[in-house]
Amino acid sequence: MQDMGRDYRIIGFLCNWCSYGGADAAGVARFSQPTDLRIIRVPCSGRVDPMFVAKALLSGADGVLVSGCHPRDCHYTEGNLYARRRLEMLRRFLPVLGVDEGRFEYIWVSASEGSRWRDMVTKFTDKIHQLGPMPRMTEPARTLCALDGMLGQSLAQPDMTQPGQPVLPDWSKPAPPLTPRADAMLSMSDIAGIAPETKGDGNGR
Amino acid sequence: MAADQAKDARQAELRASVISELPNVDFVLGYAKGFDPLHATPITVRSEKDAARLIFDATCVQNLTTGLYGLKGKRIGLVVKGCDSRSVVQLLQEKLVERSELVIFGMPCDGVLDLAKIRVRTDITQVRGAEVTGEEVRLLLPDGPKVLPRRDVLADKCLRCRYPNPIVSDHLIGQELTPQGAEDTYADLDGFEKLSPQERFDFWKRQMSRCIRCYACRNACPLCVCKHVCLADSRDPHWLSAEATLQEKWLFQVMHALHLAGRCTECGECQRSCPMGIPILLLKRKMNRELKELFNYEAGVDPEAVPPLHTFLMEEDKIKDRGQLW
Amino acid sequence: MRIGVMVCHCGNNIAATVDCEAVAAAAREFPDVVYATDHMYACSDPGQKTIEQTIRDLKLDGVVVASCSPRMHEMTFRRAVERAGLNRYMFEMANIREHVAWISLDRKRNTQKATDLVRMAVEKLRVDRPLTPKSFDVQKRVLIVGGGVAGIQAALDCADGGLDVLLVERKASIGGIMSKLDKTFPTIDCSVCVLGPKMVDAGQNPRITLHTCSEVEEVSGYVGNFEVKIRKRTTYVDWTKCTGCGACQEKCPSRKVPDAFNENISLTTAINIPFPQAIPKRATINAAHCIRLTKGKCGACAKICPTGAIDYEMQDEIITEKVGAIIAATGITLFDHTRLGEYGAGRYPDVVTSLAYERMLSASGPTAGHIKRPSDGREPKTVVFISCVGSRDRSVDRPYCSGFCCMYTAKQAILTRDHIPDSKAFVFYMDIRANGKGYEEFVRRAQEEYAVEYVRGRVAHIYPTAGPDGGQLMVRGADTLLGAQVEVAADLVVLAVGAESSTGAPELAEKLHISYDHYGFFMESHPKLRPVETNTVGIFLAGACQGPKDIPASVAQASAAAGKVLALLSKDKLESDPQIALVQAIRCIGCGKCERTCPFGAIRMRELRDGSKRAEVVETVCQGCGICSVTCPVRAIQLQHFTDSQLLAEVNALCRTWDETTES
Repeated sequence: MQDMGRDYRIIGFLCNWCSYGGADAAGVARFSQPTDLRIIRVPCSGRVDPMFVAKALLSGADGVLVSGCHPRDCHYTEGNLYARRRLEMLRRFLPVLGVDEGRFEYIWVSASEGSRWRDMVTKFTDKIHQLGPMPRMTEPARTLCALDGMLGQSLAQPDMTQPGQPVLPDWSKPAPPLTPRADAMLSMSDIAGIAPETKGDGNGR
Repeated sequence: MAADQAKDARQAELRASVISELPNVDFVLGYAKGFDPLHATPITVRSEKDAARLIFDATCVQNLTTGLYGLKGKRIGLVVKGCDSRSVVQLLQEKLVERSELVIFGMPCDGVLDLAKIRVRTDITQVRGAEVTGEEVRLLLPDGPKVLPRRDVLADKCLRCRYPNPIVSDHLIGQELTPQGAEDTYADLDGFEKLSPQERFDFWKRQMSRCIRCYACRNACPLCVCKHVCLADSRDPHWLSAEATLQEKWLFQVMHALHLAGRCTECGECQRSCPMGIPILLLKRKMNRELKELFNYEAGVDPEAVPPLHTFLMEEDKIKDRGQLW
Repeated sequence: MRIGVMVCHCGNNIAATVDCEAVAAAAREFPDVVYATDHMYACSDPGQKTIEQTIRDLKLDGVVVASCSPRMHEMTFRRAVERAGLNRYMFEMANIREHVAWISLDRKRNTQKATDLVRMAVEKLRVDRPLTPKSFDVQKRVLIVGGGVAGIQAALDCADGGLDVLLVERKASIGGIMSKLDKTFPTIDCSVCVLGPKMVDAGQNPRITLHTCSEVEEVSGYVGNFEVKIRKRTTYVDWTKCTGCGACQEKCPSRKVPDAFNENISLTTAINIPFPQAIPKRATINAAHCIRLTKGKCGACAKICPTGAIDYEMQDEIITEKVGAIIAATGITLFDHTRLGEYGAGRYPDVVTSLAYERMLSASGPTAGHIKRPSDGREPKTVVFISCVGSRDRSVDRPYCSGFCCMYTAKQAILTRDHIPDSKAFVFYMDIRANGKGYEEFVRRAQEEYAVEYVRGRVAHIYPTAGPDGGQLMVRGADTLLGAQVEVAADLVVLAVGAESSTGAPELAEKLHISYDHYGFFMESHPKLRPVETNTVGIFLAGACQGPKDIPASVAQASAAAGKVLALLSKDKLESDPQIALVQAIRCIGCGKCERTCPFGAIRMRELRDGSKRAEVVETVCQGCGICSVTCPVRAIQLQHFTDSQLLAEVNALCRTWDETTES
């Protein structure tokens, strides 16, 4: 496990009735666990808005874990069943944003499953440590993608018009009178981060 | 020429049909010629004179169901394409509009033009006239005509269209068409997902950094019915701040996609209206693909369907229990 | 806002691995925090006094305590801040014991984590709002589902405490399984002699209304005001007229009806009173076997009945009652041994269940207390008892121990030796579980005084064999203590069948909105500290419906449940939890999605004068799950104390902390 000398940023949303109790049980049993996870208590996994997860991940969390009662055991009978659909949808959606699918997980842990909770937290934390920290918003984008125009020509982007090597516009020359889709240009700050010669000069920050 | 005649006949039928319904509605929303040959503009038809301006051709790209919710309580006539009708169906399913308040003029449609695609091929400010025939688009330019293959300049959604005929309509204008598009292959998504997570993340980072937070995408969306109380503008709950940070812009798009989960009909108005050309429809397509795979659900097809996120099964067919796998 | 923070050492529990002074010092820098301190025991009397005093002295309007789990002491501290004049919801707790101090020894990281958690709590408190509970009237009546010994005991205790009781029983008489038993362990006193007087009391107590042949059809409402629909199944006998004289039973020509009360080892009539001590002692007609009801002719019972109570046209009736609390006491059924091929799967008449054997032992049973083989009526000389049939058996998905089988097996072995002194009794067992008062001694008596032969091992196979006096059953098993295979030629084999949740228990649980485990046993609210409560306020558990139990444990839990109900309904008014959903009418677009997803039907759509609709929460019905909050497209419906803004404050607090601590 990679140790950065500090905790990774992991948020847990735990339902009050089962999983929070399970985490308590793990504590009472003195099960040794990684310290990275910070737990937010919610009444039910059905209260966990997928947006909370998205917000946390885009605000710098390295991982988000949601845990509720096992299906059929919900204190509110149906909360975790709605949650299951919502969270599964979110889990499948997140990769399109470039958020690694391993960064979000939802699990079921009952109030008596202290050791299971310990196992889950340990495994999840390990996984996040393997993935490394989430890319930060303030860092410049480090990669270009040669999309070969596959998003359709209506979305022709400067960094995806040509197959193979991505080509950046030549900013030294005056702009041509009518560039196709001129509105789709990269912003200056991005270019500063991408262009090799400016790398690490502090502009990107 | 035969195509032209057919088009004229259809417009005449539409006008006659609209005129016959005028006494029963407050007004009819339709299309008229815009400021240049490549643009159509939405109009409200209240009289026979207005009706004479009605057209229907490949330039009628707008989805007129946008804003329908705001007109609740009025009796509205509406000209819809096949794809637009799915928005109507979705609004009906959510009981956001009353079927009895609508008179729908259904237009079977074989595709509309994507101006952005024409723009990369020619300077559209110079176009003096345009003709769309079966296989080609003929543009009249000052230095002579330019012919483009029709398939190259049709909107993406038309190339994969499975609903050319309106799903709901009171007056079906013209002949029904056979769907040309096969199953959606999601080739664009597949290609995008081949990129590494870091590349995808950076892609959106660049895209979202260009967002100017004009909310055109939201305002163009026919299903964003809560614009007046939109979460993006709300202080309590305070989901988004007014700061123009990358994070806030990005989160707004995620929020839009999540709110449209199980509702989006992929009419593409959000992306079409984006002044910065950000490919936000991709997010919604991803969501729709997963919902189809998970719950075999497609929005805007059946007004009686139960939205997948508002119900559940005790044992889900496609969802494996999490936390067993690792 | 003025916030005070107290970091608890919990003796050495927290302080050993968290630098509490450092956490308090860090907390002083958080926004709106005007006071932060650490304390040896925040929950102690001096600790609580300090909190109260600080609130008064510094005019605090919010308090954060960083200590143990809120599941432990949240109420304690809420009451403390309330005593000092604050609203009890202007309090937040940071769990730095179970979630920090006890799970890691890394003092540096623990201290950082504890600081983060305190910061989250402070940020949430900054957006917390005072909430006020509403009070409502309660029905001083209780519904008890199930008329076994637990249900009867709970009914009697509740009635003694002054409550009106509705006792609903599925069968024709109350009494349950205990009424079928001959003797009880470890005292070998007569079962029905102990239970009988209680049944009579329940039948005669003016506060107790019995509804036998009845089932709960539907439950709605909430604590203090449940509305229950009870289906009274038709008996074809007007019980207001029936005197229980039994004349009909003598005349009934349909005499080949399996007697369910006697575990189907004897026959009875289509119209019958289940057993002599039945309460209420009334006749019912078994419609499947009644000649009149199946073929249309007969009517012998109607002719003989002196009061004219027979009514062949009678229909099911549904009655609606209002109650303030509900006790579930549905008990158990027994494992169906016909699932097990190795014991003959029900093919051998001389392999009987323990409860059928109990009926044979009973003086009021079909054999009048004489043990006879069902196949030929001969008195068995060798009886083999097999324990753990459908208990501790993963292959039939019954991994749990039923708890009482070891004991009743010992009792039945003793009684066998008692009834037939020249008999031999063998018990095949896995382990002896005799952990009650006088239980171990009882098993010892069976082994030593009554010379019951205990063989430690499982039975692999039972097969018929020719014995000296007719057919016998060869019981083949292992003796794991000797490490040898043993074979016993038995005249009668008794299977100590284990407990299963009562038929229909999951369905009832769903009607009651309580949870149940994989085996259908109802879930208690907390396995140790709230063993008779369920997670639905106002619904309690008594007896074996919660898990297999013997009679003393069932009775004890029944009295405990009655005590809980009496405490609950001793108040004239109850307070509703204000942590419920609330609609911001100005944001609501009236789409009705919340109404569709609410599991409790707590949301109604209200039509405004202009015809538009708004959602509305029925405060007393809402349980506070928050499903609606997530369903609402505009988040116009918010769960109080867990609003989007409050949870976002926690998320933001964490993300901001990270930015500050890691960007440098």
